[in-house]
Amino acid sequence: MHFSSVIHILGFLLMFLAIAMLLPIPFSLHYGDAVHFQLLFSAIITFVCGLIGFKSTRFERDLRPKEGFAVVTFGWVSFSIFGSLPFLISGTIPSFTNAFFETMSGFTTTGATILTDIESLPEGILFWRSLTHWIGGMGIIVLSLAILPFLGVGGMQLFKAEVPGPTADKLTPRITQTAKILWGVYVLISAAETALLMLGGMSLFEALCHTFGTMATGGFSTRNASIGSYNSAYVDYVVIFFMLLAGTNFALHYRFLRGNFKAYFRNREFLVFFSIIIAATILIGLDTFLLRYENAALALRKTLFQVVSILTTTGYGTADYEQWAFSSQFILFIMMFMGGCAGSTGGGMKIMRIFILVKFVFSEFTRLLHPHAVVPVRIGNSSVSREVATNVVGFFILFMLLFVIGVLAMSSMGLDMATSFGAVAASLGNIGPGLGKVGPTDHYAHIPLIGKWVLALLMLMGRLEVFTVIILFSPSYWRK
Amino acid sequence: MNVLIIGAGDIGLQLGKRLSKDKHDITMIELKEDKVKRASEQLDAIVIEGHGAHYGVLQQARLENAQVVAAMTDREGVNLLASKIAKKAGVPTTIARVRNPEFIAPDFILKPEELGADIIIHPEKETADAIVRLIRQSSATHVIEFAEGKIQLLGVRLERGSPLLRTPLIDLARRYGDPPLRVVAINRNQQTLIPKGEDRLLPGDQIFVICDPDYIPKFISYTGKADTKIEDIMILGGGLIGQFVATCLGKEINIKIVESNAHRSEEIAEALPGTLVIHGDGTDIDLLATEGIVDMDAFIAATGDDETNIIATLVARHLKIPRTIALVNKIEYLPLTPTIGMDAVVSKQLLTVNAVERFIQHQQVTTLASVPGVDARFVEFVAEEHHKITRKPLKNIQFPKNAIVGAVMHGDQMIIPRGDTQIAPEDKVVVLTQTEALEDVEKLFQ
Repeated sequence: MHFSSVIHILGFLLMFLAIAMLLPIPFSLHYGDAVHFQLLFSAIITFVCGLIGFKSTRFERDLRPKEGFAVVTFGWVSFSIFGSLPFLISGTIPSFTNAFFETMSGFTTTGATILTDIESLPEGILFWRSLTHWIGGMGIIVLSLAILPFLGVGGMQLFKAEVPGPTADKLTPRITQTAKILWGVYVLISAAETALLMLGGMSLFEALCHTFGTMATGGFSTRNASIGSYNSAYVDYVVIFFMLLAGTNFALHYRFLRGNFKAYFRNREFLVFFSIIIAATILIGLDTFLLRYENAALALRKTLFQVVSILTTTGYGTADYEQWAFSSQFILFIMMFMGGCAGSTGGGMKIMRIFILVKFVFSEFTRLLHPHAVVPVRIGNSSVSREVATNVVGFFILFMLLFVIGVLAMSSMGLDMATSFGAVAASLGNIGPGLGKVGPTDHYAHIPLIGKWVLALLMLMGRLEVFTVIILFSPSYWRK
Repeated sequence: MNVLIIGAGDIGLQLGKRLSKDKHDITMIELKEDKVKRASEQLDAIVIEGHGAHYGVLQQARLENAQVVAAMTDREGVNLLASKIAKKAGVPTTIARVRNPEFIAPDFILKPEELGADIIIHPEKETADAIVRLIRQSSATHVIEFAEGKIQLLGVRLERGSPLLRTPLIDLARRYGDPPLRVVAINRNQQTLIPKGEDRLLPGDQIFVICDPDYIPKFISYTGKADTKIEDIMILGGGLIGQFVATCLGKEINIKIVESNAHRSEEIAEALPGTLVIHGDGTDIDLLATEGIVDMDAFIAATGDDETNIIATLVARHLKIPRTIALVNKIEYLPLTPTIGMDAVVSKQLLTVNAVERFIQHQQVTTLASVPGVDARFVEFVAEEHHKITRKPLKNIQFPKNAIVGAVMHGDQMIIPRGDTQIAPEDKVVVLTQTEALEDVEKLFQ
């Protein structure tokens, strides 16, 4: 293990984080919330620590997979530690556990919060809180690849370790170009959403914060009642539309913007993603249309919003789905595991993996009937290699195992079943609101101290898709 | 530039690595799954699994965006067909690798443009030519030609007792009356130095000299070496390279080829009437002894297996054969070879990559060659009227420390530049530069 190279890159990333910490300052000054010095101070501490790490070490050579995993995991952990400084220094979240939980929840685009009264926070801090979403959404490594020239072939290792989905595809020969394109598309769509939200009457500050929450599929809002507090069909549909975009593979957006208008509907994963949304809306709609809301338009709006918000793992709310039928809640709960498309900013297991898994199981049926049959796992026109398929099966088992262990840990701390299930699924899938006492109208403040650390770890594992983090716990990783 | 490389074998992969370092964007096509995997792990490129001469696969690799297509598989049929398709699709430059020497013969029935490839590369022939040059120039570790042979680069290792040692280069030049040569690089302790006038040579240094071809014998005598007259050669391995060398040298020199494959031995024996072909294992020292290896003037190890070549060469050196040349294909092995006492080493991969790179422009720069074990490269610039470098004599120009002007082609004539040389527009300037200085050198030609 080359600690020198790892610390060198981490130092660089922290300096970058420090610059990001300066962005909330204009808003802080504009609203006169008196946290600008605290933000500046946090940025300086972060920058100096980064600079020391960067200057005292050297980038030795191409990264091996080993260093790649360390850079990505420790990168995210150190971002969450330093990212919590504004909360701690401004005194808005005085406990380190809570501040770390909130920041990890931000960067991993989970959106679970320990805050009980969001609206009482200074604007500068709220902006920082939402900005962590946006930075984490497309990924800190992808961002660093776009601006770090020296990573070379090792960059692909990092890219693979961070980009969601069973396989990481390049859009261009060079990984730095691919990273630039992905961030470019991300910025472009974000700008569009900000503009549309401002047309709907939001201030620049609120529009940006909610754009960050949507595009990253995060879920932090500036209001206690989330998007629901605007009570506007326009805002709801704008957010639904952009949640859909955020949950879609960004490579498809790139192809669409380059003039391939059929890109979306030629992509099997997107079609499945879209069908799940329609099916879930209809199934839950049977309940909400008939029993919950006075008119169909309102029911459709509320249902669609919750379905898209949960499936894309955003976690914004316009309705308290815990008031809905248990079957509706269960459908939402299942969707927490599915998540967005591969290569999107969404969490969960990803539609692609579920799709491969189902296809894989069906190919086993054929194999049982025809023992000598050669049955490739097909997705659209191409077949998935055996290697990827086994990786997906392994991932599924590990994901479920983590879920079980997580629920065991939470329930042993005295939480009830629904809360344990909800909290673990919502953390591991990077969604935010769960069920029971951590439902859409609740918060995570009452979770026991150790429970918060467990959930924060689950968020990290969920965002980095388990393997990247868990490999650091295996003894063979640390052997020479 | 977008470069599409077909075939991710050893040559294709090395070419990809070099071009990727030179800021070209690489897309690769490879048929075999394991090679696809290796290439995508080692290279920042898109690697596509598929047949390189299938149009569908080529389209998937964005053939229409490629400025260069280099077909480097070991099947010439695939390479030529892929080049032809690429040419038809409007790719400006196509390069194909072939194995059959007929393709590059001047009287071949198909002209290059009919074959579809702009440039035809024959790695085995290139390698054999390099070996032949090393046999003819037997005290050199490297003989590399630029500008159709008008500029020659020699590598020579200095032994203890060479009269050139421990005197500053500038005084050496005075001592020999400003000879038409220039020391452009020194390899010392596996590091490459670009020498200045006050630097001194030490025993064990490998020096690289650009020299007027007529002056070479004189220069060799100054180094304290004598060119041995070569009359008998043993070649290990009767593959294409061995056969080309035998064909080329067969008229002037006695050649024995040792080949382990019985069937191939017979074929070579039929094809090369003047050559003695021995069927046997080349690492069998008894066999080599029986065939009189100790009486040989030179030993060439050119089997397809690097390890065999290295061991056999070490054996030959142990037996005090004056001249040994080894074919070592793995580029990773090349830095090791001087440390284990192997002097002249030829690499098919490196020669091919050099040959291809010559045709792929890096902005306005052409890279001429990389030299094994030398951490610098030869780059050719064409000077233009408005370039900084043409304004003043060389001594008044701030030239980067890690670079040196090796030679200037003024029309057809080679000039070894001095301090008072002024470069004229349209001169071709050969610069040896370490990679970090390349940008600074480029600025002088802007």
